[in-house]
Amino acid sequence: MIAESSTIVTENLIKRFGEFTAVDDVSFVVHPGEIFGFLGPNGSGKTTTIRMMLGLLTPTSGNVEVLGVPVLEQPEAIRCRVGYMSQRFSLYSDLTVLQNLRFYGTAYGLSNKELNQQIDRALQMAGLEGRENVRTHELSGGWRQRLALGAAILHEPEVLFLDEPTAGVDPLSRRDFWELLYQLVADGVTVFVTTHYMDEAEHCHRLALLQRGQIIASGSPDEMRNQGMHGQVLEIVSSDSARAVKVLRAAKIEGRLPLESVELYGSLVHVIAERVESLQDALALELKQSEIESGRMAVIEPSLEDVFIAYMRD
Amino acid sequence: MMAKWRRIWSLSIKEFIHLRSDWWLPVFMLIGGAIELLAVGWATSRPITNLPLMVLDHDRSAASRSFVVNLHNTEIFNLEAEVYGVAVIEDALRLGEINAAVIIPPDFSSELSSPAGRPIVAVILNGAESIPATAALRAIEGVTREMGDRILVQRLGLQTEEFEGFIPSLRVWFNESLSEALYTTPAELGLMLEFTVLLFAALSFTRERELGTLEHLLVMPFSTLELVIGKSIPVVLVGFIDFILMLGVTHWAFGVPVRGSVALLLTLAFVYILVELSKGLMISVMAKTQHQAFLLVMMLGLSDFMFTGYAAPVESMPQVIQWVANFIPAHHFLAIMRGILLKGTGMEVLWPHVLALIVLGLFIGGFSMRFVRRSLS
Repeated sequence: MIAESSTIVTENLIKRFGEFTAVDDVSFVVHPGEIFGFLGPNGSGKTTTIRMMLGLLTPTSGNVEVLGVPVLEQPEAIRCRVGYMSQRFSLYSDLTVLQNLRFYGTAYGLSNKELNQQIDRALQMAGLEGRENVRTHELSGGWRQRLALGAAILHEPEVLFLDEPTAGVDPLSRRDFWELLYQLVADGVTVFVTTHYMDEAEHCHRLALLQRGQIIASGSPDEMRNQGMHGQVLEIVSSDSARAVKVLRAAKIEGRLPLESVELYGSLVHVIAERVESLQDALALELKQSEIESGRMAVIEPSLEDVFIAYMRD
Repeated sequence: MMAKWRRIWSLSIKEFIHLRSDWWLPVFMLIGGAIELLAVGWATSRPITNLPLMVLDHDRSAASRSFVVNLHNTEIFNLEAEVYGVAVIEDALRLGEINAAVIIPPDFSSELSSPAGRPIVAVILNGAESIPATAALRAIEGVTREMGDRILVQRLGLQTEEFEGFIPSLRVWFNESLSEALYTTPAELGLMLEFTVLLFAALSFTRERELGTLEHLLVMPFSTLELVIGKSIPVVLVGFIDFILMLGVTHWAFGVPVRGSVALLLTLAFVYILVELSKGLMISVMAKTQHQAFLLVMMLGLSDFMFTGYAAPVESMPQVIQWVANFIPAHHFLAIMRGILLKGTGMEVLWPHVLALIVLGLFIGGFSMRFVRRSLS
């Protein structure tokens, strides 16, 4: 039974392209007013799933309901109630800011009065007041992203589908963008967003981790942290982290140290193991033997990136 | 209903803005056809004259000279040179410097004057350029036939005025001066109109697909029919203006008359534009890139070229091709245009072509609509 309160429900969604299974038995539920993140590397099936949810692609099998409407049977019934912004650019680059917004608004059936109001709102939101007559190809990535979001919400959709909305945008613009999403959610919009930036997962209320077309983990960021980790994370500062990772992995494989995983994390080394603090001396010795100086070691709260890597290794 | 038209209109407006910012496309579409028409019409409107000719006269008599003068008087030839050896002629032909050469044998005048003589001239034509060669042949045959008639009259001992040979009494209808332009420019017009409409329509969806904006259009509350109508309005409008411009060029610049009903011509041009539009839309959803769409348009347009009667009349083509021609909209439209422009005929004569155009239109349109619907959803 599908719960009354769910905004999006997918059940056993499968999409095959010939021999290749792009989406493999994906089921999840998105609740009203939450930001649901769909996280996974490129080619893991995120875009294919979102296209099926919008009725752009027919699934090989399975069901999708958005706002209680079976999308496969009545794709047109949700058109006016959802907004969509995609990885490939939603705006027409040879049209000006205003022309783009006018096209979107009119196509969604806004009256002239509503249109002017909503355009003002979108311009304000994107911070593009006074630049209405600039062609969008002259705008930089961050501006275009915010404008595209503005265009997608002109008709005040109940659900917003965002396909890699922050791909290729600088970190500052990405943060601004997430701020905008929180504002929308505060107004009661439900957001479904895909991303391959691990750090963006923290922004989501709940998320699903996708690998090779399958959901390998899902839940809130905290739930995933608690369930996904066997052991704790020890952060090591060393004189040659890249070589340190190799040395420690060798020690793990040869059974000299009881480690779960060893990963390079920026210029640091993250070691995951049960009761990892008791291994500090052994680790330092192991590194010393390979003439690597180890500095500060500290047990830290695992980041989601640690968690996801742990999931994907399993 | 209002909302529907508002949506469609928003799409058409967007297409017009694209046109304005991509200025070369509308310029190409509106002016390109007219300019092409001017160039082609101008180049083909003049009869063939001044073909370079070489003469090798072994006889060097009054009779041989009069033969050369007669050739010259046809105005088809321009006497390039009188030469004294065959080798010069061979070289000139190989270099493409002349289209024809005439070699008069030494016994030409004696054969001409003796009662049982058989005067002969040798003619060499440059067959690599077959159209001038045909014109040259016709001119030389005309001159020799005339001289032959005169010899006959002399040998029969008649007076020239007494002789009346077998000649056709010629009246040319519809194109009194047999102007080439009256035949070629309407064909060129039909072809340019087809290219314009096909290309414009073919780019409509491919462009959005290439830019990645197509899936946004599909997520918006447009029905397939609304998308097609919204995209088609600018195409039809541009095509129609293009047609009127080109019709003006054929009329004012080349004197192609409009003897029949202008209203009927415009109405049927509109129908023709719709038929070509359907073909273009089909290409538009078939092609993955604008590049592919462009190549498909070229392929289709150039194969239709054959059926406009531009290069050769369809009536003289093999039976199979004549049969195929019945399924080519351009062929029917050309028949309609020639009928209305040159002959001043109306529906009473043209109805089979009009009917064929409409049936083809319904067929192509229906098929195209189904195809568009299937590939867009």
